[in-house]
Amino acid sequence: MLAPKYLPLVAKQVWRHRTRTALTLSGVAVAMFLFCAVQAMQNAVAAATTARSKETTLIVYRENRFCPFASRLPEHYQQRISEIPGVRSVVPMKIVVNNCRASLDVITFRGVPSDKLTMPGGKGEKFRFSAGSMQEFTKRGDAAIIGGALAKRRGFRVGETFDAAGVTVTVAGIIDSDEAQDQNVAYVHLEFLQRSGGLDQVGIVTQFDVKVDDPTRLREVAGAIDAAFEHDQEPTATRPETEFVARAAKDIIELVGFSRVLGLGCLAAVLALVGTAIVLSVQDRIKEHAILQTLGYGRGLIARLIVMEGLLLGIAGGGLGTLIAVAAIEWRGLSMSVEGLSMNVTASPSLVIVGLAGSAVLGIVAGLVPAWQASRRQIAACFRAV
Amino acid sequence: MTQAPINGQAEGGLEPIIRCRGLTRTYIKGDNTITPLAELDLDVARGEFIALMGPSGSGKTTLLNLVAGIDKPTSGSLRVGGVELADVSPSRLAAFRSEYIGYVFQLYNLVPVLTAYENVELPLLLHRLSGRERHQRVATALQLVGLADRHDHFPRQLSGGQEQRVAIARAIVTDPRIIVADEPTGDLDKESAAAVMALLEQLTAEMGKTIVMVTHDPKSAAHASRVLHLEKGRLVVQDERFATLAGA
Ligand SMILES: Nc1ncnc2c1ncn2[C@@H]1O[C@H](COP(=O)(O)OP(=O)(O)O)[C@@H](O)[C@H]1O
Ligand SMILES: [Mg+2]
Repeated sequence: MLAPKYLPLVAKQVWRHRTRTALTLSGVAVAMFLFCAVQAMQNAVAAATTARSKETTLIVYRENRFCPFASRLPEHYQQRISEIPGVRSVVPMKIVVNNCRASLDVITFRGVPSDKLTMPGGKGEKFRFSAGSMQEFTKRGDAAIIGGALAKRRGFRVGETFDAAGVTVTVAGIIDSDEAQDQNVAYVHLEFLQRSGGLDQVGIVTQFDVKVDDPTRLREVAGAIDAAFEHDQEPTATRPETEFVARAAKDIIELVGFSRVLGLGCLAAVLALVGTAIVLSVQDRIKEHAILQTLGYGRGLIARLIVMEGLLLGIAGGGLGTLIAVAAIEWRGLSMSVEGLSMNVTASPSLVIVGLAGSAVLGIVAGLVPAWQASRRQIAACFRAV
Repeated sequence: MTQAPINGQAEGGLEPIIRCRGLTRTYIKGDNTITPLAELDLDVARGEFIALMGPSGSGKTTLLNLVAGIDKPTSGSLRVGGVELADVSPSRLAAFRSEYIGYVFQLYNLVPVLTAYENVELPLLLHRLSGRERHQRVATALQLVGLADRHDHFPRQLSGGQEQRVAIARAIVTDPRIIVADEPTGDLDKESAAAVMALLEQLTAEMGKTIVMVTHDPKSAAHASRVLHLEKGRLVVQDERFATLAGA
């Protein structure tokens, strides 16, 4: 490592070559910004679709149906599902979306029986209201509790009325929740949503959200549910929630999977940018390094000074890019939705760490070769060459 | 091999601070072998002020570089301050330079993005000193060369003479025993040259520094205690006062 007393020297080299540094930093920042954006999307997909060992949620859907418009199940299945051993709770839910395809700006209504939201142990128990309240919600028939991500994206406020997919609701509360899906939906009264779809919709729901007691028995319970309705008019297909999201979002997942290559490309760009900057600056300063060596600076020290310069450029540029990415993600509240399911793009602390550490490592790597070359030069020959 | 050196000053006394025996440096360029320095014998005593003269290409810079430890002999022996430079490792050589040598170049060779103060501070960073001690030493060195009011000036904001004085401050700030100077007045006007020469003379007279200076200017050479002439890599006798023997 480099002794701290040499750090100002490196910093001055970087700071006082303004133009070169500014160009390098902006290039690195852009590349790191893209990398972080791609990484955040990857994380969003992973968080929504990777099976968790503690998973306890099952989604019961109409067999062979994949879009909320097409999945129609009788609401009264609720009773029979709740009697199946291992089931802790059942929430019938009607889903209405304004856009069934993959999109970055979908509004998803979830109609849930009022008592299932408000009663102890119900869905609403996990809500943390940042505005409005559950009381507001119970007061109005057209009330909606909306997720924080959705509120941020559309700029919704409590008391505001909005219309989507032919449904007009009034915002009664804005919530934060540990469940990814809650972030991006509007919870409304089930009856209200059923009515707004026409009389034939009464008594019909899209799906049931089932909680099981024991995560290890998740599939077993799913099998039992499907077996119970096998010979009914509306047979069911029950899957763990993450699997359900993964299936619905297959296209997005493929796309995002491909973006991994983009992410790697961004890293390569950072390496190339810092590498070029260092190589050029070292070329420019052959004589300067010969002077330092004449003053008694050893080869190792020269090499470390140069590597430190790469590290500094990497961290500064990468830090800037990461910061911009985090700010953009936080500000925009991006989420990718398909078929009413959403994957929220968030800027996690780990993203910041990956961004910073990645650019630091790349900065160091970029400095290694020029550092080695510079430290190998014959001092006397350097003075003659210029 | 222990031929008598070209001057007899060091005989019997302390070991000379610079001692060359059969010092040779050759470069291989394609099929040619260039020998800028051939079988040189030379002793320099502590506190001497040597002026090294000779036509261009005669090996003056080569000799300075060897003495300063930024180049290595091809053969022969070179002892500086008791260290045999022919066979030390690169890192020991760097430490040697830091401790023993202050190098003054013809074209100053200040680091352009650093201020006068920061340039002078450079060699001190290698020493175990507190920030305050460093500051004191830099200030003293700049004071000595008459640039106490130019700490924050960048090289481009200084005249040639001032740049060279910053370079001298940088060369002496670590208190090295030997100053080597390669045509230090070669690029300066008369007055600046005179100021630089006065400064160098002061360094030997008051601080006992040993100076080896290359120069083309007889006026500058007149400040030296001894003048040596190189021709084709060999010393030739021109100054009868000191020389007793001519090589080849
Ligand atoms: N690194 C080198 N490679 C090849 N030739 C060199 C090198 N260094 C010096 N020389 C040659 O050695 C000779 C003496 O050079 P130098 O010591 O610089 O002379 P002076 O300083 O007396 O003008 C010149 O012919 C020069 O071209
Ligand atoms: Mg020369």
